[in-house]
Amino acid sequence: MTVKALRVIPGGLAGMNAAGPSGLLEELYEKHAAAVYGRCRYLLRNDAEAKDALQDVFVKVLRALPEFREAASPSTWVLRIATHHCLNVMRSRKALWREQLLAVARERRQETEPPDRRELVRMLLAAAPEEAQEVAVMYFVDELTQAEIAQELSRSLPTVRKRLREFLECARAALKEALPDVMLPEGDDL
Amino acid sequence: MNLDLGGPGPGCSAMRVRRLAAGELSGAEMERTVAHVAGCARCAATQREMALEQEQLRRDVPFPQFAAGVAEKLAHRPRQTFVARWAPLAAAAGLALIAGVQVLRVPDDSGIRSKGAASAQIFVQDGRGIHELGLAPVSEGARLLVSLHPAGRKNVSVVLVEPGETSVIYAGAAVNGPLPQAFEWTGSKAATLRIVFADRPIDPAKPPRDADVIELPLHR
Repeated sequence: MTVKALRVIPGGLAGMNAAGPSGLLEELYEKHAAAVYGRCRYLLRNDAEAKDALQDVFVKVLRALPEFREAASPSTWVLRIATHHCLNVMRSRKALWREQLLAVARERRQETEPPDRRELVRMLLAAAPEEAQEVAVMYFVDELTQAEIAQELSRSLPTVRKRLREFLECARAALKEALPDVMLPEGDDL
Repeated sequence: MNLDLGGPGPGCSAMRVRRLAAGELSGAEMERTVAHVAGCARCAATQREMALEQEQLRRDVPFPQFAAGVAEKLAHRPRQTFVARWAPLAAAAGLALIAGVQVLRVPDDSGIRSKGAASAQIFVQDGRGIHELGLAPVSEGARLLVSLHPAGRKNVSVVLVEPGETSVIYAGAAVNGPLPQAFEWTGSKAATLRIVFADRPIDPAKPPRDADVIELPLHR
C-alpha cells in the first residue's frame, strides 16, 4: 500500500470548504444562516425541524445561485426562501393553531397581559390564505414597507394591500373566539 | 383592547437593519440607516435579537455540521439505491455500467442475508462549488469526500486503487454519512475507489466473502 496518489485533508467537508477557493458556503453561513435559522425557529417552533429546514433552505439557495447573486437584496431574498419553505412545512402539519391560540387566551387571563404580537402573528398565519401568509410575514416580521414588498414580489401595491387586508380579516375571525376583546388594526390603517 | 401587530415604523425596519449588517446598503441609504439606528431603541432591539440569533446558530448548528448536512442534502435522492440512481445515467450516456458504478456482492457462503444494499456517494469541491461527482471527470486540485450509507453494515474500508498502487483512505466503523476526512486525488489518468462494507472488521487487501463491494471510477 502506498499513499502517493492522494493528500488527506483533515476535517472532511469543513476542511474542504475552508481550503476551497471561494468559501462560498462559509460566506453564506456567516452572512445569512443566523437569520434563516431564526426564521425557521420562529415559524416552526421545533429545533430539530428548524435545523433540517436551515439546510434545506441553503440547498435551495445553492441551486439558485444566479438568482441569489442577481438579487437586489440577498438578505431579503434568502429570508423569503426560508419563509416560503417554513410556510410549506407548516401547511403540511395538522392545524394546531386553534389550540395554540386558545392556550394563549388561557395564559393571558391569568397574567392579564397583551399577547406577544409576533407569536400571535405566527399563529394567525395558518388562518390566512397562502398568498397572504408571505405578505404578512414580510410586513409584520421583516417590517418591509408595502412598496418594498410589492417590489420584492413583483406585485402591484394594491395587490399587496389586498393581501394584508385578507390576512387581517382572517386573523380577526380567528381571534373572535379565543380573544374576543382584542381588536386588530384595519387594513387601511397600515 | 387594540393590538398593534407591528410592521415598519417611521424609519424602522428589521430588514433594513439586517441589510445594514450584511453590508448591502450604500451611499445615502446607509448613512440614513446608520444615523437612525444609533438613536432608535426599536432598531437596537433588532440588533440584539440578531446577535442572539448568531449565538444560537453557532451553538446549535456549527459550520462543519451545517456544511456536511447541506452537502448531503444536495446529493440526496430518497428511496433510490446508488445503483438505481446511476445506472440510467450511465446507460443514457452510452457508457453502460463499465464506465459507471458496479456494486458487487461477494457470494455469501450462508446464502442468508436480510439487510438492504449499502451504498455510497462521492462529493467533490471544485470551481463549481460542492456537488455530487457522478460520472464527470475530476478536475486538478478538486477535493473529494465519500459519504456512506452502510444499511446496517458495521465495518467499511475505502481504498483508492490505481495501476500499481493502492491507498487506504479509511478503514473502520461504517459511519452513516460523510467520512471524517476529505482527500485530493493527485493521479493523472484513472483510478477506482473501492468501498467494501461488511459485518466484521475488514482487511482491505482481502475483503470477506459476504461483503458489499462498491466500485466508483475516477478519471481526469
